Amino acid sequence: MADVINHVLNTMLGLNAPEWLIIFISNSIAVTLIFAIAPLQMLFMTYFERRAIARMQDRLGPNRVGPKGIFQPVADGVKMFTKEDIVPTAADKMVHLLAPCVVAAPVMFMFAVIPWGPGMYAVDLDTGLLFFFAISSVSAVGLMMAGWASYNKFALLGAMRAVAQMVSYEVPALISIAVIVMLTNSMSIVSIIEAQSGLFISQVDVAGIPDLGLGWFIFSPVGLLGFICFFIAALAEGERTPFDIPEADSEIVAGYMTEYSGMKFALFFLAQYLLNFLLCAITVITFFGGWQGPGISWLWSMAVSEANPAGNPIFNVLAGILGTFYFLAKTYFFFFVMIWIRGAFPRLRVDQLMGFGWKFVIPLTIVNIFSASLWIGWIRWELNPDLAFLSALGEPYSFARWGFAFVATLVMNVAAYTLMTRINRSPDETIDELVADQVFGAVTLR
Amino acid sequence: MINAVPLSAVLTIAAALFCIGLFGAMSRRNAVSILMGVELMLNSVNINLVAFWRYLQPDLITGQVFAIFVITVAAAEAAVGLAMVIAIYRSRQTVYIDTVDSMKG
Amino acid sequence: MELLIQIIFVLISTLILGAAVMVVRTRNVIHSALWLIASFFGIGALYLLLEAEFLAIAQVLIYVGAISVLILFAIMLTHNVTSGEGHKFYQRWWLALLVSLMLFAVILVPTLVGQDWTITARPSEESAIAGAVEMGTAFMREYLLPFEIAAVLLLVALTGAIVIAYEERAQRRRILTLAQELALRKQQQQNHAEE
Repeated sequence: MADVINHVLNTMLGLNAPEWLIIFISNSIAVTLIFAIAPLQMLFMTYFERRAIARMQDRLGPNRVGPKGIFQPVADGVKMFTKEDIVPTAADKMVHLLAPCVVAAPVMFMFAVIPWGPGMYAVDLDTGLLFFFAISSVSAVGLMMAGWASYNKFALLGAMRAVAQMVSYEVPALISIAVIVMLTNSMSIVSIIEAQSGLFISQVDVAGIPDLGLGWFIFSPVGLLGFICFFIAALAEGERTPFDIPEADSEIVAGYMTEYSGMKFALFFLAQYLLNFLLCAITVITFFGGWQGPGISWLWSMAVSEANPAGNPIFNVLAGILGTFYFLAKTYFFFFVMIWIRGAFPRLRVDQLMGFGWKFVIPLTIVNIFSASLWIGWIRWELNPDLAFLSALGEPYSFARWGFAFVATLVMNVAAYTLMTRINRSPDETIDELVADQVFGAVTLR
Repeated sequence: MINAVPLSAVLTIAAALFCIGLFGAMSRRNAVSILMGVELMLNSVNINLVAFWRYLQPDLITGQVFAIFVITVAAAEAAVGLAMVIAIYRSRQTVYIDTVDSMKG
Repeated sequence: MELLIQIIFVLISTLILGAAVMVVRTRNVIHSALWLIASFFGIGALYLLLEAEFLAIAQVLIYVGAISVLILFAIMLTHNVTSGEGHKFYQRWWLALLVSLMLFAVILVPTLVGQDWTITARPSEESAIAGAVEMGTAFMREYLLPFEIAAVLLLVALTGAIVIAYEERAQRRRILTLAQELALRKQQQQNHAEE
């Protein structure tokens, strides 16, 4: 964005603005846009979810406030603002006040590294992907604060379960993302998106592919398994069904949010929806190409950029609009998948949830790392003379090597998945196994 | 950073943090508070390592690698220490370390 | 520009040291854990100022995201409401304060301030600062053995922590009714009497 502002101010308007002013203006515009867009996203997503889940449950959803109910989120916002703010007498006042802030602030941090279109990002950190997940792990502390400060047994129990779930599903999420880092040699989000150009396979892996912006990582077996594991982990991190024990209304009142009302509850709500949006966004960025799509590279080649300072700013705007359209379309599609799963699946019990995470998803991600390293080795490396059979297939980065790597990693990943499902079969329902599976200590079931 | 802030300033901050952590570890009764003091001391050592790396030899990665290892060992030690605190609490119903003195001569 | 960096450094140091002082002076254990989290954030910011990006993010991820949660869990699991009125500090805490102040003022500060920290073969200003890529390469080449040993150490710590804090299924505390609790306690007393 600094390039465009530089171009507009210095070249077109002829002002001689110093560099720090250009950086200041571009960063201010980026921050203002983020803080304006994020709540709008949340409003749209609450409306989208309520209408979609209603249709799945054979009812209509909110349709009174405004045409087709599109002003319902505004009504929700007014309700949240005007509700009385009740704090329990024995609660820790300062911690009770700070907990929603500690949960909501990291989510706004995470918006800083998301690119919405080509060249449309607030900051391009060298370790942007790791920054994203590191900041998302800070909200676990806020959950503990909320559960503790409410001075309520159910809130504390809900908070402990929520934190245990969040922390244990960070592991498969990070390992699945580590696969993408291995494939692109970089943790910078902008490089990850740019590496997904091409057609079903990136131009890095096989030369001469036309740049249609469709070389997404999902089209390789490594990316497919990584996507499945990452999406499951993202469902659990964002506390969506079937992993929504922490906020299950029928189980534990509202979990750690029980003693919150009014604006503080609205902050928790905002943080949860935005976290889900960001998790869908990072899924799209790492596995589905972000803003990549047909036509972007052609538009971008004629726009103002670092490689082409003499471009035309109109193409920046066009590429930005098209890129944002692709990015948001894919992100909202994945949010719709999250809603769909919510409408279709029942809730997992907390011990089933933890067992699923540690015993099924994590071994799959470890196998995925192994296949990713084999993928890279088979495609890109000069091989040892002892492995002459692979050199016989062709040069590095050739189609034959890519085909061999594709088939071999596909076989490995499918075999691992089948093995894991076989191992994790639920026990036969004899009374002995049910008793052993229960968590009642002194009480027997007979 | 190198031109603006002298190395001794950063090292003094790390030394102050170490002494605060030492005071915390020596003067508290709650076992978890003592562990928090120990974590402060380990962090001060890390600040020292990173400051020396940046000011004296920033093109080698050794300083940061050392700091990563210190973080790793601190995490392992915190996990085992807190597990022991929980086990002691379960059998003695207390976390104040001056009451856990049954082996005192 | 240098003045700006100095101001930022002073602010970050105030956060780190102020939060650390609050850690060791607060009576409430939960509050001191939260001040510890603030101190960790300040240290991460200091790493960013020292241009160690990966280390700053690792500090936030590991310390704030994991170790702080561990400390908070341990506090909550060992919180005994009835014994909250005990002394939080020893009677002779002023001795610890004296020792820390003496260590700082007499030993550390004269050593640090009076030393000339330049080395003879200073690297040139244009050499690139090592970053995450160099760290990954170093972990696979020069530091492979310590890396593997650290992995084994973490595995041992993980297993050890689980074994130490393990609770037998039969003794796992559930919300029992009063009759069940009395029956359980009588059974435990019989077991102790038999031993």
